Amino acid sequence: MMEKLRKTALNLHNEFVQKWKKQGGKVVGYACTFIPEEILHAAGLLPFRLRGVGTTSVSIGDSYFGPVNCSLPKCMLQLAGQGAYAFLDGAILSNGCDSMRRLEECWRKASEDYPGTLPGYYEYFSVPHKAVDYSIDFYAQELTEMISTLEKHFKVTITAKALKKSIRVYNQGRLLLRKLDELRYRGEVPITGADAMAILIAGHAMPREEWGAMLKDILADLENTPPVSDHKKRLMLIGSANDDVDFINLIEDSSAIVVADTVCFGSRTYANLVDEKADPIPTLASHYLSNSICPRMLGCYKDRRSYIMDLVNKTAVDGVILQNVRFCDLHGSENGVLERDLEAAGIPCMRLEREYGPLVETGRIRMRLDAFVERIS
Amino acid sequence: MMSAGCDVGSLTTKAVILNNTRVMSHALIPSSFNPEKSAAEVMALALNAAGLTMKDIGFCVGTGYGREKIPFVGKAVSEIACHAKGAHWLLPSIRTIIDIGGQDCKAIRIDEKGNIVRFITNDKCASGTGRFLEVMAKLLGLELEELGTLSGQSRNPITLAATCTAWAQAEVIVHLNSNTPKADLAAGINQAMAARVAILAKSVGVEKDVCMTGGVAKNAGVLDAMEKHLGVPMRRLRVDPQVMGALGAAVLAKEKMEGASHVRSRL
Repeated sequence: MMEKLRKTALNLHNEFVQKWKKQGGKVVGYACTFIPEEILHAAGLLPFRLRGVGTTSVSIGDSYFGPVNCSLPKCMLQLAGQGAYAFLDGAILSNGCDSMRRLEECWRKASEDYPGTLPGYYEYFSVPHKAVDYSIDFYAQELTEMISTLEKHFKVTITAKALKKSIRVYNQGRLLLRKLDELRYRGEVPITGADAMAILIAGHAMPREEWGAMLKDILADLENTPPVSDHKKRLMLIGSANDDVDFINLIEDSSAIVVADTVCFGSRTYANLVDEKADPIPTLASHYLSNSICPRMLGCYKDRRSYIMDLVNKTAVDGVILQNVRFCDLHGSENGVLERDLEAAGIPCMRLEREYGPLVETGRIRMRLDAFVERIS
Repeated sequence: MMSAGCDVGSLTTKAVILNNTRVMSHALIPSSFNPEKSAAEVMALALNAAGLTMKDIGFCVGTGYGREKIPFVGKAVSEIACHAKGAHWLLPSIRTIIDIGGQDCKAIRIDEKGNIVRFITNDKCASGTGRFLEVMAKLLGLELEELGTLSGQSRNPITLAATCTAWAQAEVIVHLNSNTPKADLAAGINQAMAARVAILAKSVGVEKDVCMTGGVAKNAGVLDAMEKHLGVPMRRLRVDPQVMGALGAAVLAKEKMEGASHVRSRL
């Protein structure tokens, strides 16, 4: 079962998406954790988190983005231009960060040169940078607008009842992921960070109910699985979006195990549950805007630091890797401040700037990881 | 029993043989595309220079990019730890090491026991590495070593605005075409190199004593420029700074043999 999730994490057009499409289902890609999957789920659509996995060149990405943009949206655009996202019936882009916001216009422009690569439903979703009453209201209006365009394009009706049901489904997934975390936080860890990351990624690339059922079985198996953490240094991964299981493998090749993370695509999204009883739209708006630990949210650094410090204590990690994709303004700057504060608190840190995409710098990254593990040994 | 260290780097492969607390021999060859072959070759040279065979080596530690490919080592350790260990073994007062190798540079801060406190490596481009100097020396028609000696004769060093190796090359060509003295060009190149690496060193917090290791540490011009940029003297090492990684590896091998966490130099 784990193997199926590993494959799902490594391939865009995975077997679950193929099956869904074969049964006449529609798939809508989305680019950021601030876009509630519950709404797409309630519309009977398959939410699919956009990624750049499997890119071997950025020739298309480099043609539309500037040289100082993060390589994640470049890789996403590359795949879109190559037709790798042909299975999408829709895509929702947002201003998660400036580079991701630019993906919306670059993809639109690239589709003029690569015809047929823009999904039929293609929308921009604006997310505020503050979580205050008026911005939550604005966000709720954006959600209402999203619902309206989805209903119109896909000829569906998204009812409050369906939304509440979807919220319940996603909350169940969040609870399962918390159980996975409990296993990862143990002294003797039964699962590698790479496999945990594969589970997390697969959760946004296949039907949620099917994923939940598989995860339930995996969790039951893990209770009786021998530990894989013997004599390894326990690490936490922080920083830019990472959906690259091989990057985690590279870290874990250095006598280490990743037992916790706060990265986008990783363990960022399930610390809190969505209220299942309240009015769905305002509840979703408040939940998604108020509970994020993404540095795009203004004025919340101390909350994020405190969250990370608590996690460090809870997970008893030996060190923290602060990584960011090159030109990631948000994490690049926040990692510097976090390093200062965590080191001052006696938590060893290593900063790592890297490219998103195929691991071309393995030698240098591995040398630094080895040195870091030697430092904390 | 002797210990040995072997450092398979991106441009050169080095070996050091340690006898108790003295360096018996060291050797250095250009790296080939076959790390196993380079390691065997350099080790044979070092052993030969010491009049020894592999049977005389109690333990060997490997380091460098090819560290995991070396067939005769008992342990592979990162070059960051090895450079720190080598420099600290030679000079226990060292707290900051700036290592500039063929294709990367590192700033390492250590405690009084030689343990790594912080480190950083360049992760943007090759402009602060030995390759930068190689490209520039070739452009000026000089041997790499001459870049250092010549820069001492400079009266008016040029200023390189570009940090990118390719663009800096274009700037140097403009100066060459304007008949700027080579000594001024060499000094400007060394200063640009030092300025770039000093930024890296400052980000780990420079603490005295400071030394430079790696092949570029042989360049007196870069050493002088680095002293000016950091405002601290660079302690000169009594062993070829280019073999510091291999020396550190040999010290770690010695510690492994003796079950000690610390062995001292009698140099």
